[in-house]
Amino acid sequence: MVEIIFLTPFITGIIAFFLPKAISRQLLVGTGAIHLFLSLLLWKNRPEAIFENYFAVTPEGLLSLLVISLLFFLISIYTVAYLKESDIQKENIFTGSMILFLSTMTMVTLSDHIMVMWIAIEATTLASAPLIYTHRTSASLEATWKYVLICSVGIAMALLGSVFITLAMDIGNVDAPLSFSALTMVAGQLDPMWLKAGFIFILVGYGTKMGLAPMHTWLPDAHSEAPSPASALLSGVLLNCAYLGIFKTNKIMHAAGLNDFSGTILIVFGLMSILAAATFILKQNEYKRMLAYSSIENMGIIAFGTGIGGIGVYGAIICMIHHSLIKSSLFLSSGNILLGYGNRFIENTGDMVKRMPKTFVAFFGGFVGISGFPPFGIFIGELFIIVGAFRTGHYVAAGIFIVTLCVIFAGFANQVMKISFDDFNKGDSKKTMGLKERDSMVWPQYILLLTSLVLCFYMPDTLYQTIIDAVTALGGGLK
Amino acid sequence: MILHPVDTILSLVLLSVLFSFGSSRLPGLIKVLAFQGIVVSMVPFFIGHDMNTGGIFFTFGTLLIRGIIIPMSIFIAIKKVAIKREVEPIVGYHASMLCGLGLIVAATYISRQLNIPSISDYKLLFPTAIALLVAGMFLLMARRNAIAMVLGYIMMENGIYLVGTTISIRARHIVEFGILLDVLAGVMIMAIILQNIKRTFDDVDTAHLRTLKE
Repeated sequence: MVEIIFLTPFITGIIAFFLPKAISRQLLVGTGAIHLFLSLLLWKNRPEAIFENYFAVTPEGLLSLLVISLLFFLISIYTVAYLKESDIQKENIFTGSMILFLSTMTMVTLSDHIMVMWIAIEATTLASAPLIYTHRTSASLEATWKYVLICSVGIAMALLGSVFITLAMDIGNVDAPLSFSALTMVAGQLDPMWLKAGFIFILVGYGTKMGLAPMHTWLPDAHSEAPSPASALLSGVLLNCAYLGIFKTNKIMHAAGLNDFSGTILIVFGLMSILAAATFILKQNEYKRMLAYSSIENMGIIAFGTGIGGIGVYGAIICMIHHSLIKSSLFLSSGNILLGYGNRFIENTGDMVKRMPKTFVAFFGGFVGISGFPPFGIFIGELFIIVGAFRTGHYVAAGIFIVTLCVIFAGFANQVMKISFDDFNKGDSKKTMGLKERDSMVWPQYILLLTSLVLCFYMPDTLYQTIIDAVTALGGGLK
Repeated sequence: MILHPVDTILSLVLLSVLFSFGSSRLPGLIKVLAFQGIVVSMVPFFIGHDMNTGGIFFTFGTLLIRGIIIPMSIFIAIKKVAIKREVEPIVGYHASMLCGLGLIVAATYISRQLNIPSISDYKLLFPTAIALLVAGMFLLMARRNAIAMVLGYIMMENGIYLVGTTISIRARHIVEFGILLDVLAGVMIMAIILQNIKRTFDDVDTAHLRTLKE
């Protein structure tokens, strides 16, 4: 019964639309808890799907699923506190869309059929559009419009890519179901030219959703306009879901022996994203946009690592997991900052270390983690990717990679220092804070950061084995 | 060489691409898109593949949505809500037309190189599909009016539908899901309507404030 795990939130999500405020908040947390329980059960038992042509439990899917579940549960606890503090109209639409969003993302992680995955990724766009429009201002409407338009073009490209893959099947006279696992098995017989074309279109299509430059333009707007819990979900898990589509298509390419081709393209897109993020992060004046650009950077790192292959793929998966944990905690903290200072510009914040000490610990910890300092996992992931790049002889790419990461660190650090230590009063009047720090608005962040920290020193065997299973299909591993 | 009937109507579609590049006002553009939607979704009936009931259902569904429902709803939208009728070009009309001509030539040249066996009887099929796809992208980028952008997006969808539905049965099953893309187009149209309503209300509000002051 694999399907039950996305059907449950689907049903509760629809119910949440019709419930009064208080109950729909509880339903949000309840669904999160049930979902976490179900995905742990799934992780332990690994059952077969009922519709086995369409759904399958794959190692990379399991990894994303567990991340989604954990994140959603913690974010839902935060959301309840956040909703009490902020004035969001039509709250049941917000909670309902959050739960439906969870359902569609779960479907992405479990889908094995190319078209089921496509439908699920499209459904994530539909479910998340109301989340971005939550504040109902014209700026948020513009962000939603941009998000839907750009992602729709992307999803149309992915559809064309899928058409080309069927063409590769027809020309190669392959008779197999149109699922990722079946196609990986018969990849050698597919027509290479059309398979390449299909890969490019799918990469561009899902890459739009993943936030790879130059298709990333929707991402900063959407992340800064959405309420912070929704931004945390968008950045923490939606981007991973889109990456999953690319990862699985890359598996077919690898099995067909075209990994040099796909790797080069991934490296180019990855580097472009990191460079784009570096240019925009340096002169950023809004902290949520800064975090969004950092997401683009990390997606670039992941794409780069996947393109490098070998130990780099392992590093990419490690980066993916830790980026989700740390970045979602950062976005949740940014929600506290927004409520506290009532302003989204960096220059109107400051002195967080005294004014919001608990949030400061979470935000600063997250900053240290996301910029790749040891003891956090991103450090290990980036190290593996760099080692992998040198081993495969991508010296120039590795050089650009390292230099750009340093630039991003400098820009990021500069802004974080301003928020944390700059003088807030700037003159005579004593400004007051709009938020008293509740415990339930900081400890979800602490747990996320702690999880990332613990995973660095101690990784359970089953988790390690699953990562290895996922990356061996791309020729990756720890050797 | 005798043209296949499919090629004859497709040549009209190619002309409509040029027409859409040259049209300066929304109603004309909407009519062009409705025409394209109807023709493109009828093409599968003339291509040799077998059609089952589901296929016929989907083809008529696409025809209904792209040829009638979406154009009609946009028409009603621009009538009820005050949306600007000009498409507000970033690239001028004459330059657009020139790009369109170049595009059609390039599309024909590229599809000669590709040589897909299953549709080699239909000379204009693949060129039209590529032309629609790129022309849609062009309208998306070279027009400022939001409705014109949605129309460009629908033109892109038409191109994808034309490729998928004709190459093989398997590909047709895939592009039948393209109907779901129209849901996204619908969401976009709704966003535009919302934005305009919002703007109208804002205007009303400021006018109201001014009258109070006097």
